[in-house]
Amino acid sequence: MSKKPTVIMPNDIIDANSVEEKLKLLKDIKRSFNVFRVDCGSCNGCEIEIFAAITPMWDPERFGFKLVASPRHADILLCTGPLTRQMYYPLLRAYKATPDPKVVIAVGACGCTGGIFHDSYCVWSGIDSTIPVDVWVPGCPPHPASIVYGLATGLGILDQKLKETVNETDDGFPPIIDKPVLNTILFERDVYMESKRLMGYLFGKKLYQKFITAVKQSKDPFDIIITKTAVLKEIEKEEDSRYAECMTILFNTVYLSFVKTEKTVFPCELIKPGENNG
Amino acid sequence: MKLLDITKEIGTATYGYPFEPYEVPEGFRGKPEYTYDKCIGCAACAIACPPNAINVTYDKNEDKLKWEFDCGRCIFCGRCEEVCPTNAIELSQEYEMAVKFNKNDLLTKGYLNTVKCRICNKPFTTERLVNYTLERMKAAGMDINDQIIQNLHTCPECKKEKAVEKFVKTSRFGGVK
Repeated sequence: MSKKPTVIMPNDIIDANSVEEKLKLLKDIKRSFNVFRVDCGSCNGCEIEIFAAITPMWDPERFGFKLVASPRHADILLCTGPLTRQMYYPLLRAYKATPDPKVVIAVGACGCTGGIFHDSYCVWSGIDSTIPVDVWVPGCPPHPASIVYGLATGLGILDQKLKETVNETDDGFPPIIDKPVLNTILFERDVYMESKRLMGYLFGKKLYQKFITAVKQSKDPFDIIITKTAVLKEIEKEEDSRYAECMTILFNTVYLSFVKTEKTVFPCELIKPGENNG
Repeated sequence: MKLLDITKEIGTATYGYPFEPYEVPEGFRGKPEYTYDKCIGCAACAIACPPNAINVTYDKNEDKLKWEFDCGRCIFCGRCEEVCPTNAIELSQEYEMAVKFNKNDLLTKGYLNTVKCRICNKPFTTERLVNYTLERMKAAGMDINDQIIQNLHTCPECKKEKAVEKFVKTSRFGGVK
């Protein structure tokens, strides 16, 4: 593995790109700035989102955004990709060709820190490993709104929202565990696992919440018939038929296995497919 | 003139975004929100995270477990949300994440107290995780005795050695008859 070439930035470029100079530039170009896009080995996801961001749907030309074909015409460099070894010198050439002072925006997770490729042998992990970056736009790929927000933040139209947060006061107390419905949290655990299996982690969580609240509605969770009526009521209220069906399955399998001691299941205890009117 | 009529009918398609708020559709995977009070420091998210955006390390100077999230490296896959047992990390609808001039603004950190092994006296897990396990066991209807508490405060290496010792003592090839 070869070492990263050390490039000594000429002093006149460093001096011409101080923060004061950049702020002055941003003040001058407020309503008209030309952007040159450098692809430093991106997967093209960020490119697609940038092109989505310059469609009439988002229309960044309202505040002066214009893509140009040469870095010599540009005020802002929009860099994507984890900076592969092959793109190292082309990026430096583009950077040097851009008139001073210039603003560099790193787009996407790869451009910010190297993203998923951060420890790969063939990348230098991030634009800021080679040239000074002013604005970082995270996202993989960033939503067009994120890109527009990044540009607007760089230009000073909007304020930055994220701040470094450090939490240090630990009292050692774990999060509170909810009171179990059926004396044991093993019921909750099984319902959670089954609902994740049925609907995936995202909708499974919602299904779990819906089913547990339905069982809690019952006056006596240990009584099968009372709980069945309570769950049926919730199922009828449910608009999404997927949740309704999965709640039926949860009741027939998990709930009955926890409440019944003997294995025979009477038909009156099961929720049948047509019973919930839909 | 016909074109003008059409545009009049359709209206403006452009979002007024930087000047007006824009709402992303439901289910959009935005910035992962970290709730420090719920975190137990089990490091499931750090193991699941594909680009190592979440790092859980032991901080020697502070004698604490350091949970660190770098938003700049996150690829918004939602694996951390999937594996988190306490819902401490959840993907929000936040898409306005750009920072300028200071990259450290992308970081979120959390420090958690550690517990030392009762046999070898080395830190091996967090105080919250031990307490959480105990609470869960109580809620599951288990009897908590000294043996269980001793086991909870023993690190995996010591547990392994203990098990081997026990096995050697009881097996017929062992020294004790």
